[in-house]
Amino acid sequence: MRPLSRRGFIERGGRACAGLAAAGAGATGLTVLVKDAAAQSASPEQPDRLTQQAAKQWAMLYDSTLCVGCRACEVACNKKNELGRTTTEIFEGREAQDARALAPNVFTYITFHQWEADPSTAAFGKVQCMHCIEPACVSSCPVSALHKTPEGAVVWDGSRCLGCRYCMMACPFLVPRFEWESRNPRIRKCDMCWNLQKEGKEPACVEACPTRALRTGSREELLQEAYNRIAARPRKYVHHVYGEHEAGGTDFLHIAGRPFEELGYRRNLPLRSYREYTKPAMATIPYVLGGLGLALGAVRWVISRREEVAHAEHAGREEHAS
Amino acid sequence: MKLPALLQTRVSRGIAVLVVLAFLGVLLIAYRFAVGLGAVTNLSDGYPWGFWIGIDILVGIALAAGGFVMAGLVHIFGGHRFHPLTRPAILTAFLGYLLFVFALMVDLGRPWNIWWALISWNHYSPMFEVAWCVMFYTFVLFLEFVPAVFERLGLARVHRVWREVAPLLVVAALTLFTFAMTDSLRWTLIVCGILAGWEVLMRLGVAPRDHQMPVLLIIAGIMLSTLHQSSLGTLFLITDKLNVLWYTPILPLLFFLSAVMVGPAMVIVEALLTARVRRRPPEFDLLAPLGRAMPYLLAAYLVVRLGDMLVRGVVLETMTVSLASAWWWLELGLVLSAIALFSAPELRGRHGGLFLAALATVTAVVVQRTGVAVVGIAVPEYARYVPKWSEVMITVGIVSLGLLGFRAAIAFLPIYHEDEPHAPAEASARPASQPIPIAAAGAAR
Repeated sequence: MRPLSRRGFIERGGRACAGLAAAGAGATGLTVLVKDAAAQSASPEQPDRLTQQAAKQWAMLYDSTLCVGCRACEVACNKKNELGRTTTEIFEGREAQDARALAPNVFTYITFHQWEADPSTAAFGKVQCMHCIEPACVSSCPVSALHKTPEGAVVWDGSRCLGCRYCMMACPFLVPRFEWESRNPRIRKCDMCWNLQKEGKEPACVEACPTRALRTGSREELLQEAYNRIAARPRKYVHHVYGEHEAGGTDFLHIAGRPFEELGYRRNLPLRSYREYTKPAMATIPYVLGGLGLALGAVRWVISRREEVAHAEHAGREEHAS
Repeated sequence: MKLPALLQTRVSRGIAVLVVLAFLGVLLIAYRFAVGLGAVTNLSDGYPWGFWIGIDILVGIALAAGGFVMAGLVHIFGGHRFHPLTRPAILTAFLGYLLFVFALMVDLGRPWNIWWALISWNHYSPMFEVAWCVMFYTFVLFLEFVPAVFERLGLARVHRVWREVAPLLVVAALTLFTFAMTDSLRWTLIVCGILAGWEVLMRLGVAPRDHQMPVLLIIAGIMLSTLHQSSLGTLFLITDKLNVLWYTPILPLLFFLSAVMVGPAMVIVEALLTARVRRRPPEFDLLAPLGRAMPYLLAAYLVVRLGDMLVRGVVLETMTVSLASAWWWLELGLVLSAIALFSAPELRGRHGGLFLAALATVTAVVVQRTGVAVVGIAVPEYARYVPKWSEVMITVGIVSLGLLGFRAAIAFLPIYHEDEPHAPAEASARPASQPIPIAAAGAAR
C-alpha cells in the first residue's frame, strides 16, 4: 500500500513532526509564561494572603539579642524527641562549630558568631524547621506524608512516606533530614512539639529557654510583639523580621541585632511561597490533556480522510489508464 | 527462532557479560536493601538526588520516548510505512518503563509505601503527577505491546477482544487520571467526553478506524507521555539548587521537546545496533527518511533552549569557567553536530553517518538531563556530590537486565517485520528489507 509518493510522504512526515513540536512548544510555553507572569505580578499581595491565612497559627519568636547561647534548647529538644547521643562540640571548637548542621538526630542548633572588629561580643542564631505557611516540602510531597496541621506545625507521617526525598530538594532552608544508614529510613525534622502543644504545653525548646529568647503565641501576636520590640529599641535591632515574608512567610519568626546573613541565615530568599514556582506548570495539565485529546483525534481524522481520497483517485486513474 | 540456535551465535559472549553485570547489580541491590542507601551511594542531606535520578529516571524516560513518537507518527500522522519501526520502539519503551519502575524502587527509601500514591493525592506535587504518569503510561504501553504476545501464542480471539476492550480501558484510565490531576469535575468530564466521543465516532463508522491498533490507545500514550516527559522538568522548578544554565520556568517544555527529538534518534540507534546483532540488514529505507526530519526537531529544541536563555539574560553564565558551563557547551556542541550530521545527505545516507548523528542526539539529551539532575545542582553548604562506584554498578546492572529482557523478547516475540506470522521466519535477506543504495536515496530527493 503506497498511497503517497515517497517525497510527498517525507515532506509531510517532516512537516507534521515539526508542526507538532512547534505547536506543542508554542502552546505549553505560552501558557507557562503567561501563568508565570501572572503569578509574579500577583506576588505583592501574595504575602498578605498567606499572612492572613496564618494569623491564628501557632508560631515561635526567636530574639537573637536575648539569646546567650546556652544551648539548653538543644538539650531539651534532644531529650524530648529521644534523639540519643550527638557528636557536636562546645563553642570553643569554632571550626567544628561552624561545620555543624541539622541531622536525623539534630532538629535544632544554636549558631555562634563573632566579629574580628569587636571580639568582646558574640551573637547567636537558631536553626530549625521554619514551619512555612505554605511549605515547599508539603507542596512537593507526592503523598502528603509531610503536611501542615491546621494549628500550623509541619509534621511527617511515616506510614505513607515513600522516601523519595523530594522534600529535601525543595526546602529552601535545607531542613528535612534522611536516615541514610537505615533500612527503614525516616524523614526527620522539628515538628514544633505539636503533640505537647496539643496538650497545651510549650515546645521543649521554649520551655527550656532561661532568658525567654524563645516565645510561643499566635503568629499575629508574635509579629506584633516583634515589631513592638524593634520599635521600642530601634538602635538595638535590625529592622527586619526574618520569616515574615521569606518563602511566602513562616511560622517561626526571628529578630536580631545584626544583619541576618551575618548570623548564618539564608538571604535573598523569594518572598513568595515555593508552591508558586510549580503552580504555572501544574496548571497546564488539563489544557494539555484536553488539547491533545482533541487535536490528535482531529489530525488523524483529516490525514486518514486525505489518504482515502488519494487512494480513490489513484485507483480511478489506474482504471482510466486500463 | 530456537533458543539453542541463538546461544550458538557470537552474541552469547555479549550475553554472558550482561548476565554477570546484571548479577552483580542484583547483589548490590540486595546489599542496599540490607544496609540502607548511605552505604552504596554518596548521596547526602545536601545532595539527596544523584546519579540514579539523573540516569535511571531522567535519561531512561527520555530514551523511552521513541515509543510515543513512533506510535504517533505511524498511527496519527499517517506514516504507515514506518510501521516496521514501531514494534521495536514500543517494546523498548515498555521495557524501559518497567526498568524505570524497578530502578525507582531501589532509589526510594521506603518503596513498600508506593501504593499510597494511588490514594493519598497531593495536586500541588509534580512528583504526584510523575507517579501517576508512570503507572498509567506503563499500563498503556502494556496494552500497546501485548498484541505481539497474542500473535506469538496464536490467540486470535483474545486479540479481537483486546481490540474492543482496550479503548474502553483507556477512556476509564484517562478519566480517572484527569480527575486525580485536576480535582475538577468539569475537566474530568471534558477529557472523558473528548475521548469517548472519538471512540463513538469511530464505532459508528463516521471517523476512520485503525484496524491494527486502537487509535485511543495511541492518543492516550501521547497524552500521558507528554505530561510525563514534561513533569520530570517540572520537578526541578521548586528547587533553588539548580544552576541558571538549566533552571527556567519552561524547563518542562524543554524536557518535552528534547524527548520528541531523542525518540526517533533512539529508534535509529537501536535499529542499526539490533540489525547488527541479528545479522539482518537494517530497515535503512525507513531510517534515512526519519533522519531527514531530525534537523527540524533538533532545531525546535535548540531555538527554545537558546531563546529562553536570551530572554532570561543568563547567556554570559556560559562564559564562566566551571564544570556547569563546560557541561552546557558540551550539550550545545552535541546538538549542533547532530543537526550538521543529519542535514548532510551524504552522511545521513550512510550507516555510519546516520548512526553517529543519532548517537550525538542521544548523548546531547543524556548531557542535558544529567546537567539538570547532577551537574547543575549545587548546595554550597555541602561537599560536592560525585557518584559512588556502587551507584554506577547498580545502574549498569539494571540496564543489563533490560538488554537481556530485550534480547529475550526479540527472540521469542514477533517484534520485527519479518518475524510476523505471514512472513517466513527463516528468510534471511528479503528484498524489502535490503538497504537502498545511497545513490538511490539521493535521487529520491
